[in-house]
Amino acid sequence: MISPSTATSGPDIAFRKVSKVYGNAEGGFVALDKVDLTVSRHEFVAIVGPSGCGKTTLMRMAAGLDFPTSGDVLVRDRQVEGPGPDRAVVFQQFALMPWKTVRDNIGFGLKCRGAAPSEIKQVTDRYITMMRLQGHESAFPHQLSGGMQQRVAIARSYAVDPDVLLMDEPFGALDAQTRLVMQEELVQLSRVNPRTVVFITHSVEEAVFLADRIVVMGRNPGRIVEIIDVKSLRLSERWDELPIEEVMDLESFTHMRTRVWKLLKDTKRSTAA
Amino acid sequence: MAQAVRAGRRGRAGMPQVVSRGGLLSFLVVLGLWALATGPLDLVGPARFPSPADFWQSGVQIVTRGYAGGTLLTQVWHSLRLVLFGFVVASATGVGLGLLMGLSPRAEKLINPTFLLLRPIPPLAWIPLAILWFGLGDAAKIFVIWYAAFVPSVINTLTGVRGVDRTILSAAEVHGASRSQLVRDVVIPAALPMIFTGLRLSLQACWTTLVAAELVGAFFGIGRVLMTASQDVNPGMILFAMVCVAILGAGTTWLLGTLERRAMPWRQA
Amino acid sequence: MTTLSNAANATAPKAARRMRRRLPGIGESLVLSLAGFAILFGGWWLLARSGLVPEQVLPGPDAVLAEILHLMRTPFAGSTLQMHLLSSIGRYLMGLALAVAVGLPLGLLMGWSRRVERAISPVFEALRFIAPIAWLPFATLWFGTGIGGPILIIFSGAFPPCVINAYYGAKLIPTPILEASRTLGASSLRMLTDVLAPGALPSIIAGVRIAAGIGWQSLVGAELIVVSSGVGYLMMQGQTNLSTAVVMAGMAAIGVTGFAIDVLLRLIESRIQKGALA
Repeated sequence: MISPSTATSGPDIAFRKVSKVYGNAEGGFVALDKVDLTVSRHEFVAIVGPSGCGKTTLMRMAAGLDFPTSGDVLVRDRQVEGPGPDRAVVFQQFALMPWKTVRDNIGFGLKCRGAAPSEIKQVTDRYITMMRLQGHESAFPHQLSGGMQQRVAIARSYAVDPDVLLMDEPFGALDAQTRLVMQEELVQLSRVNPRTVVFITHSVEEAVFLADRIVVMGRNPGRIVEIIDVKSLRLSERWDELPIEEVMDLESFTHMRTRVWKLLKDTKRSTAA
Repeated sequence: MAQAVRAGRRGRAGMPQVVSRGGLLSFLVVLGLWALATGPLDLVGPARFPSPADFWQSGVQIVTRGYAGGTLLTQVWHSLRLVLFGFVVASATGVGLGLLMGLSPRAEKLINPTFLLLRPIPPLAWIPLAILWFGLGDAAKIFVIWYAAFVPSVINTLTGVRGVDRTILSAAEVHGASRSQLVRDVVIPAALPMIFTGLRLSLQACWTTLVAAELVGAFFGIGRVLMTASQDVNPGMILFAMVCVAILGAGTTWLLGTLERRAMPWRQA
Repeated sequence: MTTLSNAANATAPKAARRMRRRLPGIGESLVLSLAGFAILFGGWWLLARSGLVPEQVLPGPDAVLAEILHLMRTPFAGSTLQMHLLSSIGRYLMGLALAVAVGLPLGLLMGWSRRVERAISPVFEALRFIAPIAWLPFATLWFGTGIGGPILIIFSGAFPPCVINAYYGAKLIPTPILEASRTLGASSLRMLTDVLAPGALPSIIAGVRIAAGIGWQSLVGAELIVVSSGVGYLMMQGQTNLSTAVVMAGMAAIGVTGFAIDVLLRLIESRIQKGALA
């Protein structure tokens, strides 16, 4: 792990000409075709695209769970060779351990790292409060609602104090109501605890609301179609000062949403042709 | 041996395919290590474990000249015949009793407690008694093989009949099936997967029991070969006989698997 | 226990209801169970008493019970029945513990890592078809009449179910949980103790129960041939002395112990399952 003070000024994550081909070179399926993407320090990047565009593969490469056929994946200027505690992953299926309590799930990463019990207690306490899980410390995951389970999963990822957070449709399994609440909470959390985030989603609204930049991907082969800057719009239109429902009603928001939608629709049409 | 029920269900899927390039490789690695350890490296003395050459010579010896009173073919045939006979008789009686107990609560109440009482006595524990009763000949072997296969057959058949889907039973009734038709066309086919699970366990138990019985005392058979080789301190022959036992077990299990697929064409996965 | 009949519901058609009516009440089932025992023991007693079969071939249940009591006080084949049983159980526990200690981690690793699975499963599959008792000649060759022999045989019987059930248990753990643990920095040892073992626990317990059953049965086989103490040895001595009552007393001791082991493990299993759902 590299501590922030020694970190270079370069991008936190860099994909350089990353390709992934399944099967042999000629007849194989090209999941990703020479993708170039950099994510800066504390930037929130959302990736949207149709299924099969390779967005999850991209995220898994950053996590060290998958590897490119060619090209390089760098996190803080270091080639990714496997999973590491400098990068935490939040999965769509929560992936909590059913046999561990809320507290033990949150503290698992610290325990793996050999942290002292007192330190684990202190950190888990902080995140239990932050994610409003008080009173459920000794509950098992199956006793919690979907939203609470995902809060535990997010707390577990934050607890290891990673430089980079990788989220694979983290709210995809939640109902619409809970989803809104969680989106707002994530925004608040990233204000208190800024992190470099790569966020995969199917929901255009979610991407527009959360992201600094949106990466729109297309498939056959998997590639980046366009990268849209949302941050400047958010700052100039002061989205951060309004609750989520009102932001989603703003003309600037709906305009941006429509723009991304159209891009996605075009990529699908171009694939079909 | 009720625990065997679960073992069987788990065993259904079977372990991953052995016949793959990687599988062959790790097999060759083991063969290579064996040759090295008993040959050039001399890690294991020839009195403890045979070299591939010892193994081969023992094979040649028993096939051409015979060992422990017969050639390989006669010894194997002797054992195989006993297992097949015991297994078939035990399957017929075991499945029959299991069906009876599954279909008639009265019969179950009458027989099951007795059955529960006898069940914890492993088949191998019957060997001394079988020898006292029937001597060292084939009758004693057939008796213990029958017992070994009988118990799992009964238990799994009973479990299978109990597990028959009630909806299917009702559906057949609505269409006017008589009781005998229900048993023949619904209960038995529905219980067949469990019955076959029981038969597979039975078959394994048959081989274990036969080998044990022949080790304790026999005039012929593959277990007799094993025992004679042990007394002669002939590691090559011991290993050869063990491989024969494994092949016989695997072969008959494969045969039963083929039969199972034939009997249940609707279960092709 | 669900029988074919009592699970049929009220709306079930005629024949199913007919089957349901056949379900005996508690009183009747008690009578039937007792009748079953009565037929078994009564028939056995009568046959022994009738003189059709000599006492030497079939002693009555009363004679066997008397023999058990006798064996508990007077040593036979070196020691009393309970001392034989104790030495059997000691060997058994050692062999079983070894199979559990080696088999479970191996099975879990095979279920987790493709590489381990590919390397080990062909060899494992080939060895699995060798009946545990067939190891006996090598056990004698390697360990003589020492404790190693029976332990090897118990091990070879109990090992496969430990491996197989741990393997399937690990396979059933959802991939995201395994990946999440790796991204959180779990070492292989931590994976084994904190993720794979608890995740596969229900399957592991079932496997240990199967292993315990097969191990006990393998022990009996081993004792019939290689050792000079234990219940199996007692039975073999009984057989050589043509004392059927001693053989039957040994069978009863083996049956009762096997039953007790199974009951104990079932108890542990239900305890753990309840704990897992709490």
